[in-house]
Amino acid sequence: MAIFLPRRRAVALGAIMVIAGGLALGAVFVLSGAYNVAASVRHFDITNKLIKLTLRRSIDTHSAFVKVPDLQNADLVRLGARHFANGCQPCHAAPGSRQNPIVAGMYPSAPPLGVNADDWEQDELFWIVRHGLKFTGMPQWVGDGRDDEVWAVVAFLRELPGMSEQRYNELAGAAGSRSGFTLEVAGEELFAQCIACHGDDRTEPVSATVPSLDGQKQAYLRRALEEYALDMRQSGMMEPLAAALSREQIETLSERFARMSRRPLERTPAEKGRDSQRERGQHIAMKGIPRQSVPACASCHGQTSAATFPRLAGLSKAYLATQLRLYRQGTRGDSAYGQIMQSVARKLTDEQADDVATYLAGVSDLPSIEAPAPASTPR
Amino acid sequence: MTRRGFTTLGFTFGAATVLGGCSGPQSVFDASGAEAQEIMPLFWTVTGIAVAVTVLVITVSAIAVFAPVHWRRHLTSEKFVVAFGIFLPVFVLSGLLTYGLLVMQAGSARSRSAEGPGVTIIGEQWWWRVIYDGPEGEEIVSANELRLPVGRPVAIRLQSDNVIHSFWAPQLGGKLDMIPGRTNTLTVEAIEPGISRAQCAEYCGGAHALMSMYVVAMEPDDYRQWLEAEVNPATKPADAVRREGQRLFIAHGCGGCHAVRGTPAAGTIGPDLTHVGSRHSLAAARLPNDPQSFRRWLTDNQHIKPDNFMPEYDVFSDSELDAIAAYLDGLE
Ligand code: HEC
Ligand code: HEC
Ligand code: HEC
Ligand code: HEC
Ligand SMILES: [Cu+2]
Repeated sequence: MAIFLPRRRAVALGAIMVIAGGLALGAVFVLSGAYNVAASVRHFDITNKLIKLTLRRSIDTHSAFVKVPDLQNADLVRLGARHFANGCQPCHAAPGSRQNPIVAGMYPSAPPLGVNADDWEQDELFWIVRHGLKFTGMPQWVGDGRDDEVWAVVAFLRELPGMSEQRYNELAGAAGSRSGFTLEVAGEELFAQCIACHGDDRTEPVSATVPSLDGQKQAYLRRALEEYALDMRQSGMMEPLAAALSREQIETLSERFARMSRRPLERTPAEKGRDSQRERGQHIAMKGIPRQSVPACASCHGQTSAATFPRLAGLSKAYLATQLRLYRQGTRGDSAYGQIMQSVARKLTDEQADDVATYLAGVSDLPSIEAPAPASTPR
Repeated sequence: MTRRGFTTLGFTFGAATVLGGCSGPQSVFDASGAEAQEIMPLFWTVTGIAVAVTVLVITVSAIAVFAPVHWRRHLTSEKFVVAFGIFLPVFVLSGLLTYGLLVMQAGSARSRSAEGPGVTIIGEQWWWRVIYDGPEGEEIVSANELRLPVGRPVAIRLQSDNVIHSFWAPQLGGKLDMIPGRTNTLTVEAIEPGISRAQCAEYCGGAHALMSMYVVAMEPDDYRQWLEAEVNPATKPADAVRREGQRLFIAHGCGGCHAVRGTPAAGTIGPDLTHVGSRHSLAAARLPNDPQSFRRWLTDNQHIKPDNFMPEYDVFSDSELDAIAAYLDGLE
């Protein structure tokens, strides 16, 4: 028996049946487990092209609003190289080292950046390193809110294409010659890793954004390492290193740095700042800004201050200014100690923070607050 | 219980609550100052007249609506309108004005007689800086408590260096604003020894509601003795625990905000702590003054007094807290 339907109805019914059939097939495909997710089975050429296109378009669009800062700084390149050796080389390999076969077995595998980095603009590199790539094994930056650190890596990646092995080892220091995460070394070799970035009582840190540890208080160093390891302090460079340290290693390393005497300062004229600026900074450091409820820095950071409060004198201006900014924007300050400093830093204006960082970077020691003249003076 | 029973109960409770607010250390009805005593009859007079006028208006309205015609006709007569619409208000309001002016005049006469040493109170966020004129004209800086001698009018100079606050010690007298850039002088005379409470009466930011202090009126001799002791620098820590407390106090930067005269601590951002142990409360009458409260204040002050300008110090061990609390408690 023939069924007669008006034409429009017939089309609609057909469409519904096609869609329902498609869905059912899809469900069978997914639920049956027929699709092979093995890394050993490669994508079809067309699938691969489609994935790469999606990736490229996504990165291009999402990095559209990234602002590139000035990266013309040899320091940054070296710091970036040192982190690269610890955190990226194990997957991506580096000039002169071959990719570990296990890592090469990833699919997609980590491409050799000595070739591929040239494919990307700086803002795109930043975006990739900051956010990572879904479903590929490319991790995101672990220090929340630490875009400044990511830029050091980008500064290095820009120079990486075509880099010679010798130049790379020069930039990456002790870490450059190894493959595998730094985290697996111990003893003197571990100490050498720290010095490669932080310097010691004879050599200065690899970059002004890395703090000197020589002569810092032990209790503070220990606490800093514990806070990195617990993700209570944000740094994509220090968190992975600290998380891999044992209690004993933290104890030995912090003791060793604390025992050193602090290396004398060498400051560029730019870091020294103008006289007037240093004077304003000194006033803040020694007298505070009572009107804004800012106490003198020396009352908490002077010579006789608590062992758990850091020593500031001798840290670089770039580091001091960065930390003040991190406190002020709330990136640093998760610990009870950080809360105290955060409440002080939040009351400073940008300019005052800059002034006081300039002053502190130029003094070899911050005296404690002295007993004042008798307070009740006749009128 | 019947519905009527509920109503009665509600009324009783309501009245009890309202009347309960009428006494206590911060009540205008428990006058213990000459100013407040003078204001009291003015208050009752005004209240009495207001009640009488209300009753009168209601009565007249009732007449206008319900009464027989010949009653109502009286209301429309010219005489009635002139008497109750013009003469009565003029008479009552002028009377009250004169009375009020007389009371104020009495106050200003007392201001002129307030010749002895005065007190400056500076409104801070959210506490009071209290500066006494010392026996030799020196400034004696204290905080969060006002002491007054009984029987002498004292000029209180009210200032602020941030936002507008208002000083109000209801048992002593009226309130007066503390305005940045100027000095308002309020004269008060305590007439009997005792402790009452003052409250900031002008919204001044986050912790405004928690900005109070105790006002302690003392016999003149006691007051003199107290003031002589207040001039002195802090007592030296008496034992090893308190010495440790003092060391911790300095090492953790408390001295950057707080002064303890006679020690390196000379900060002016927070209250002077030279004699904090002898005050009746902590943190502008937020906490009682005892070692337990010192401990709580250090570790939990942002919870106890949200947004206040002291950082929370959740960094001490138990024994360290005990030492600091013992040290501060010993600053008498
Ligand atoms: C766990 C291994 C792993 C680590 C560690 C790692 N990556 Fe990757 N990375 C990958 C993989 C896998 C890809 C490939 C993504 C793709 O092809 O879609 C990738 C892609 C990239 C790309 C894009 C390259 C391109 O052309 O597709 C850049 C740039 C990059 N990584 C930089 C870094 C940097 C810088 C670090 C260190 C901070 C780092 N990666 C750490 C696995 C890693
Ligand atoms: C790749 C370079 C690099 C290496 C290697 C490195 N650090 Fe760091 N370290 C940094 C940077 C950058 C910071 C500043 C991070 C921040 O802004 O919080 C830092 C901060 C620190 C701090 C905090 C100092 C302060 O004043 O707050 C300590 C402690 C520290 N590192 C210890 C170590 C130790 C111990 C090692 C060796 C196991 C080590 N670091 C290896 C780069 C490095
Ligand atoms: C009330 C005490 C106190 C005062 C006042 C104070 N600080 Fe701090 N500061 C701290 C504490 C506590 C820490 C450690 C915080 C942490 O571990 O995150 C700290 C840490 C710092 C650091 C980070 C040091 C490092 O090695 O990473 C800087 C920079 C700093 N303070 C600058 C200042 C400046 C500038 C001033 C004066 C405007 C100041 N501080 C006043 C208590 C204080
Ligand atoms: C940044 C400045 C600052 C620092 C540092 C500071 N305080 Fe305070 N402190 C204040 C302020 C402001 C108040 C008043 C808070 C309020 O009541 O609103 C206060 C109140 C107090 C009070 C109550 C005083 C009173 O009159 O009732 C005590 C006690 C006290 N602080 C002790 C300490 C101790 C102990 C330390 C060090 C561990 C310390 N403070 C560090 C600013 C500070
Ligand atoms: Cu107020």
